[in-house]
Amino acid sequence: MYYFFPLVLLIYFLVPFRAKNPVLLIASLIFYGWGEPINVVYMLLSIAVHYVCGLLIERDFGQSRAKLWLILATVFSLVLLGYFKYTDFLIENVNFILGTHFPLQNIVLPIGVSFYTFQIMSYTFDVYRGETPAQKNIFTLATYLSLFPQLIAGPIVRYVDVAAELVRREHSVARMRLGLRRFLLGLGKKVILANSLGELCQHFQNAENPSVLFHWLYAAAFTLQIYFDFSGYSDMAIGMGKLLGFNFLENFNYPFIARSITEFWRRWHMSLSTWFRDYLYIPLGGNRVSQGRWVLNILLVWFLTGLWHGAAWNFIFWGLLFAFFLLAEKFWLGKWLSRIPAPLTHIYVLLIVVLSFVLFDAPGLRIAGERMVAMFGGRGAPLADTEAIYYLRSYAVIFLLAIIGSTRWPKTTIERLQKAPLAAKILTIAEPVMDISLLLVVTAYLVDSSFNPFLYFRF
Amino acid sequence: MQANEQTQANQKKSNFIIVLSICSIWLILCVVAWFKTPEATSESERRKLAQAPELKLETVANGTYMKDFETYAQDQFPLRFPFRQLKAYTRFYGLRQLDSNEIYVLDGFAAKQEYPLKENEILLATTRIRYLYEKYLEAQDLNVFISVIPDKNYYLGYQQAYPSLDYERLFSLIQDNTEYATYIDITGALAIEDYYASDIHWKQESLRDVAQVLAKSLGIADSLSGTYYAQEAATAFYGVYRGQSALPLKPDQIRYLTNETTEAATVFNYETGQTTPVYDLPKLDSRDPYDVYLSGASPLLVIDNPLAQESRELIIFRDSFGSSVTPLLLEGYRKITLIDTRYIASDLVGNYVTFTDQDVLFLYNTLLLNSATMLK
Repeated sequence: MYYFFPLVLLIYFLVPFRAKNPVLLIASLIFYGWGEPINVVYMLLSIAVHYVCGLLIERDFGQSRAKLWLILATVFSLVLLGYFKYTDFLIENVNFILGTHFPLQNIVLPIGVSFYTFQIMSYTFDVYRGETPAQKNIFTLATYLSLFPQLIAGPIVRYVDVAAELVRREHSVARMRLGLRRFLLGLGKKVILANSLGELCQHFQNAENPSVLFHWLYAAAFTLQIYFDFSGYSDMAIGMGKLLGFNFLENFNYPFIARSITEFWRRWHMSLSTWFRDYLYIPLGGNRVSQGRWVLNILLVWFLTGLWHGAAWNFIFWGLLFAFFLLAEKFWLGKWLSRIPAPLTHIYVLLIVVLSFVLFDAPGLRIAGERMVAMFGGRGAPLADTEAIYYLRSYAVIFLLAIIGSTRWPKTTIERLQKAPLAAKILTIAEPVMDISLLLVVTAYLVDSSFNPFLYFRF
Repeated sequence: MQANEQTQANQKKSNFIIVLSICSIWLILCVVAWFKTPEATSESERRKLAQAPELKLETVANGTYMKDFETYAQDQFPLRFPFRQLKAYTRFYGLRQLDSNEIYVLDGFAAKQEYPLKENEILLATTRIRYLYEKYLEAQDLNVFISVIPDKNYYLGYQQAYPSLDYERLFSLIQDNTEYATYIDITGALAIEDYYASDIHWKQESLRDVAQVLAKSLGIADSLSGTYYAQEAATAFYGVYRGQSALPLKPDQIRYLTNETTEAATVFNYETGQTTPVYDLPKLDSRDPYDVYLSGASPLLVIDNPLAQESRELIIFRDSFGSSVTPLLLEGYRKITLIDTRYIASDLVGNYVTFTDQDVLFLYNTLLLNSATMLK
C-alpha cells in the first residue's frame, strides 16, 4: 500500500492519456506477479486465447464457426480453471468412490483465477452475442483483465461496463476525493473490522471445547468478517477505479437487511449472481421452461455457484442450501414471509445466512455438522464459558460497529445531516479529519500485523 | 444562482484540500519508507528487524523475495512504534478490546494470555524432569525438591474470570508425576504486586517470603539472615509487555537486594568462561535490564559463596525466574549450580556437573511448563 500504490498513482497522473493504459497494464502485471510470478503467464495466456477468439468470433459473426471459437475459448478457460482449482477435488472423489489411490497434485491456485476467468469469459460471450465489438488492441484487452484494483477479489467487472472507459475516461479532483474516501472506507472495513473479527474466529478455532455461546459468537463473527472482508475489497476496488477514471458496478447492497433469501442474493456479491444469471441461467431458459426444468436450472446454477467458491463439498452444499431456500420461497415460503412481521423475516434471513456461513467456513461437512449441532446445545457443549464471555466483552464494540456498519443507517444519517446547514458545515470539517484518521489508523493496523490476506483471494 | 456557484467553488476547494492532504501523507510515508535507513533492532519489541532481501532471479521466481520484502516493509516502516501505539490505543481505548496482541491489563498489571492448559506439554515437562532425575540423581539418593512459579495470570486473569490455565490441574499434574521430589508450594507467598507491572517476571525485592518458603523446605531457613539492602537502578525499567502490547504501561523500577554474601559471591559462566558478580550492573543499560540478575539467560552457572558457614551445595534446574530468587538462597550454600536445560541438552549436563550430595531443586514457571518442548 505504501511501496506500490502511491508510485503507480504518481506515474499514472504524470503521464499523458495515451500512456495511462500501458502504465496500468505494467503496474497490474507487477502487482499480480508479486505473489507468484508464474501466475502472470497463465493470465497472459488467457488474454491471448480470448483476444484471438474474440476477433475470430467477430469475423465469423452469425456463422456456426463463431460458436466454435466461443466453445474453444470457454473450454480453454474452464480447463485452466478446472486444472488449478478442481484437480485435487476430482482425485479425492475418484479415490473415494473407486477406492483408488491416485496421489493428490497439490496444485497452487493462482490468486484471483476464478475472478479473471469469469471476466474474460464475459468478454467473449458478449462479443459472440454482438453486445460489444471485439477489442482490436490486445494491450487494451490485457489492461481490462489485469486492472489491479479489482484483479484478485472482484467485483467481476464485465468488459462491456468498462469498454468505453478503457478508451476515454474522465479524471477530476472531485472523483479523486470520492475514490480516495471509498478506498479508505474499504480498507478500514477490511483491516479494522474484518481482520479483528477474523482474530475472534481464530480464537474459536483454537478453543478446545467451545461453548454454545462461543459457537454463536464465531458464527456471527465469521458472517460479518466475510461481509466486511469482501465488501471492503469491493469498496477498495471501486474507489481505486474511481481514482483511475473507471466506474465499477457495486457488488454489495446491504445484504443483511434483506427480508428473504431471494432478496439477500440480489444484494450479496451482485457481480457473481448477475454473471450466472446472464451467462448461464437465462441461456438455460430461465423461468420460461417447464417447472421441472426450471428447478433443475436453479439447482445447476447454485451447484456451480457453490463450486465456484471452492473445490469442496461444503461449498457445493452451501450453494445448494441457497437453491433450496430460493425454491422454497418461490413455491410457498415467499407468501408466508410476506405476511409475517418484518423483524421475523430478518431473523429468518440472518439465521439461514449465519448457518450457511458456518457450512462455508468449515474444513469439512462433518465439522460443519458438529458446529451447527453445538450451536443448538448438542454435543455436550456448555452453554457459556469464561472464554466466550471474555471474547464477547472484548469484541462487543467491534460487533456493534460491524452490525451498524452493515445497515443503511450510517449512510442515511450522513445524508440527513448534509441537508441541515449547520451539520453540513461541521461535516465539511469532520469528513476529511475522519478520512485522514482512518488512513493513519489503518496504517497502524497494517504495520502491527502479520500478513493477512483477503478471504476471497483464495477464489 | 450566485450562492450556488459559491457553494460549488467551496466544494471544489474543499475537494482539492482533502485530496492534497491525503495524497501528501500517503506520498510522504511512501518516500520515507523507500529511502529511510533500515534499523537493525527494535528496542521496544526486543528483537531484530528484518532487513531488505537480496534481489536475485531465483528468489523472485520462487516468490521468497516478495514474502521477505513484505516482512521487511512491515518491520522497517517509518514511525513503526508510534503506529503500533496508535493501533494499541485504538484497540484498547477506542474499540474497548480487552487485550492488545494478547496482552491484557488489569489493575495496572499487564499479562500475556496463556491458555488453554496443554496437558501433553506438562507431562512432557515431567518426563524431561524424570529423565534428569533417573540419569543423575536417583543413584545418588539426593534430596530432590520441585516448585512451580505461578505466572501473573494466576493472580490476575485466573481470579477475575479471564481465560487462563487450569492451575489446579497443572499443579496436580506436576505433583502426581514427580513423586520422587518434595513439592514446595509457593503460591501463598506471592501476590500480583510481587511481579513487575510491565514485565513477565517477579520482583526480587518482593521474594523474601518465597525465599523463606523454599529455604524452610530445603532446610536452610536458619542460615538466611534476611538482611538485605535494596539498590535501585538509575533508569526506569520498561518490561517486555510494554513493547509487545505497545500500550502506555507505566515503567517499573528494578531493585536488587545486596548484603555481604551477595557482594562477596562470584558467578562463573561455563558458556562465556567469565566470572562476574551476582548482579551484573552493566546489564541494567542493556535491552533487557532484568539480565542484571546473574547476567541473564545462560545454560550453566556456578555461584561460589566464600562466606558460607557450611559446605552444602544446591543445584537448581531453572528458567529466568530462578535468576532473581537464587541470590536470596545464597547464604545457605557454599555453592549453587544453575542449569537451564533450554540451552543445554540434559545428556550434556553430566559433562560439567558432578552429582554427589547436593540438594536439588527444580524451579520452573508455569508458562515454561505449558511450553515444555523448549526443554532439551
